[in-house]
Amino acid sequence: MTGYDSVTQPESVLERPQVSPPEPWAFPDAQRSQLANGLGVVSYDIPGQYVISVCLAVPMPLDREPRDREGIATIMARTLDEGTARHTAEEFAELLERKGIALGAGVSDAGLVVTLDVSKRHLGEALDLLSQAVREPAFPANEVSRHIKTRLAEIDQERAVPGQRAAIEFSATYFDPGERASRPTAGAKATVSVITPQDLVDFHAANVVPAGATVVIAGDLSDLDVVSEIEQALGSWNGVAAEVVEAHEAARALDATRVVFLDRPGSVQTEFYVGCPGPDHSVHGGWAPYQVLGFVVGGSPNARVDAVLREDKGYTYGIRSGFRPRRRGGMFLTSGSVRADSTVEALGLLLDILDKAREGFTQEETMAGVDFIGRTAPGRFATADAVAEEAAALSLEGLTTEFTTANLQALLDVDADALAAAYDRYVNGEWTVVVVGDAGLYAEGVRALNRGEVTVLPA
Amino acid sequence: MPLDYKIAERTLTNGLRVIVSEDHSVPNVTVNLWVNVGSRHEVEGRTGFAHLFEHLMFQGSRNVASGEHFSALMAAGGRLNATTWFDRTNYFETVPRGAMDLALWMEADRHGHLLDAVNQENLDNQRDVVKEEKRQRYDNMPYGNALIDIYAAIFPKGHPYHHATIGSMADLDAASVQDVHDFFRSHYGPDNTVLTLVGDLTPDEGFASAERYFGPLPATAAARRDPVEPLPALSDAARDEHIEDVPSDHLYISFRLPVDDTPEFFASSLAMDIVGGLATSRLCRRLVRHEQSATSASAHAMGFVDGVSLGFIMIDVAEGVSADAVEAAVCEELVRFAEQGPTDIEMESAMAQTERSWLSSLASQEERADHICHFATLQGDSGYINTYLDRLAEVTPAQVQQAAARWLMPQSRAVVAYLKQDGDTK
Repeated sequence: MTGYDSVTQPESVLERPQVSPPEPWAFPDAQRSQLANGLGVVSYDIPGQYVISVCLAVPMPLDREPRDREGIATIMARTLDEGTARHTAEEFAELLERKGIALGAGVSDAGLVVTLDVSKRHLGEALDLLSQAVREPAFPANEVSRHIKTRLAEIDQERAVPGQRAAIEFSATYFDPGERASRPTAGAKATVSVITPQDLVDFHAANVVPAGATVVIAGDLSDLDVVSEIEQALGSWNGVAAEVVEAHEAARALDATRVVFLDRPGSVQTEFYVGCPGPDHSVHGGWAPYQVLGFVVGGSPNARVDAVLREDKGYTYGIRSGFRPRRRGGMFLTSGSVRADSTVEALGLLLDILDKAREGFTQEETMAGVDFIGRTAPGRFATADAVAEEAAALSLEGLTTEFTTANLQALLDVDADALAAAYDRYVNGEWTVVVVGDAGLYAEGVRALNRGEVTVLPA
Repeated sequence: MPLDYKIAERTLTNGLRVIVSEDHSVPNVTVNLWVNVGSRHEVEGRTGFAHLFEHLMFQGSRNVASGEHFSALMAAGGRLNATTWFDRTNYFETVPRGAMDLALWMEADRHGHLLDAVNQENLDNQRDVVKEEKRQRYDNMPYGNALIDIYAAIFPKGHPYHHATIGSMADLDAASVQDVHDFFRSHYGPDNTVLTLVGDLTPDEGFASAERYFGPLPATAAARRDPVEPLPALSDAARDEHIEDVPSDHLYISFRLPVDDTPEFFASSLAMDIVGGLATSRLCRRLVRHEQSATSASAHAMGFVDGVSLGFIMIDVAEGVSADAVEAAVCEELVRFAEQGPTDIEMESAMAQTERSWLSSLASQEERADHICHFATLQGDSGYINTYLDRLAEVTPAQVQQAAARWLMPQSRAVVAYLKQDGDTK
């Protein structure tokens, strides 16, 4: 191939190319139906996606857990496939692996999501196994006790990892102690260790039911009758739905505006976890400005936080900010770690940046955020798993991916004024701050910042 | 199963290999470049340099301001980053089709004219950022240095894989602007780079754009050395024990494996899956399910090109159980596997899980582009993504057994142990 004759010498500079407007794109179309048992079925045909992703989302607010059995939803999720009416745990694992099926389950504040990834030709067998796990788990005593021990070991691991330790303490400090949200989703040692197989049987029967649940299937669905496949696997699933209680916004603790410094002597870095209230997806004025704010404040190396703490000061590998919606209400969170000896200065700078953002944003940074969120959507939602996960998560909030589409449309109208109004609506300088680091060296300096009462606790 | 992702390849006169994979499913293009330089090319006293250099590629070049690579492409709807590994360094962005030319122009500017913008200030800044990356990912984490210890234990001093890509603090401190110039001149240039474009474009469009922006760059990279001599399996077991403030005892049991992209590597990789990688692996069944002496067991094979690859088993020892007893059980299972070989069901499971995870990894344009560049750069095969599963399927149970007997025997292990302080279980 020959070169271009506009190039007259090797060192000549080609003009910087202009970016042309993006091609039209729409979130994949959904086909929706409902089975007689109340299970919603949503499918997305995405040609070329040869691994099919299935997500079963069962609304199950975490505060349905008995106070003395917190973590039971997580243990249930982890033991659904550890023995069923028809198969032992080992047989079941083998049935999954022989067909290359990845089956997983997890819980959030809004519910249970069971995920399945499988190549197209094994979809039928995979749905049958998903159905058995969801409908007929046996919760064998030895498997339950094993998963409890694993969770207890995991609790120790979480306490040892600075970022996870900070997140746990943040919830405990931020939320009112009466709220389920103030305590770890997967439970504490005292509540997990007493969970029995019968507890799991009862919790499962009361909560894992088809009415109100949604199964999402995404991938290359050509030549598949999706509804019939789902009907065959899950059509005879029955159960009495638990009483529907309107979700409430978890209350913030009365003394949440303060600094908790967890002492981790010898730490070569200090972890920060900083937050204040934020909205959920139903916020008046729309969710789009909050997505943009996350990007502008702390979503890239050039965002406001890292422009200073990373690119100017070199104190951090990266600190991220974002609005995190919950089922009702939400939070604006910023987290990351800095070099230990920069702890005091870095925390002061970080809080100053977050506070100063209340003065507003430039149109240029607003447009950069709008274009980043909007123009990355085709790539972010190009794969079967991303589409299925988005639809499943939204279904737990009573929303569909029509929300995703409408939000991308609304994004186009976000300007600097909208950003300022959105930020000002939630951010008022009343920060809950958790610091994990060497308190002996840095707690006094943090106190001297006068950013709230400082409590030092052992990590 | 046959895959048929479209692949077209052309080499520019300056040596740049350009691969285009047309896929109009979304109006994006992934631009992915692999440079055939990694931490295996680093010299003593300059460990961590390939990675530090990668950071400097975001601090501006002749016509691009510091930080602009991120800011300009993200504002155009790009998602981008770069990574450094033993064998290579990659740079990548997925952008809307209308921003592809800007991405290529910016890539060509830094891959051709980085040194115009390198100075002491941005070197010092990114050195600090990289040191925080090391502290965050390794030094401030329980077990954070385990992989680094594995490399040092299983590969001899002076070997390309003996030191980790992140390098040492002392060597990062020693890096100078002159080192940046020398490294760029030795290793960067179109003749040591592969460019892959995946997405909403035709091969002709991709080749024309590649020629337009990269065609003017001269071939400047030094010739690659030959791969180092193959390493045999360890003949005597090695051990590196750390008594630390960790929540539980962890064992990392590592092995040398044959070089990547060989039937022997595929066989040893399947053996690792069957012994420890699957949910139904022998170690999961025995240690996690039956004896409950471990809360988890996993195994990984990492394919490399310089004479050897790496396999390791990771065991999280259960509270109150002797780590030595667990290690002895692992050794028993290794011997048993080498004697018995895999069952039909084990082979079926390992193949099926590999197939699904391979297809999942090809589902997005960005990961597909990365795979294409990987195998084009390191194995010379731009069509590898379409043939890998068929080649894997040719591996026989006998080959898996032979690989285990040759590479995964107890005497060939190097063990890195992280043990709890004040433990009463040893």
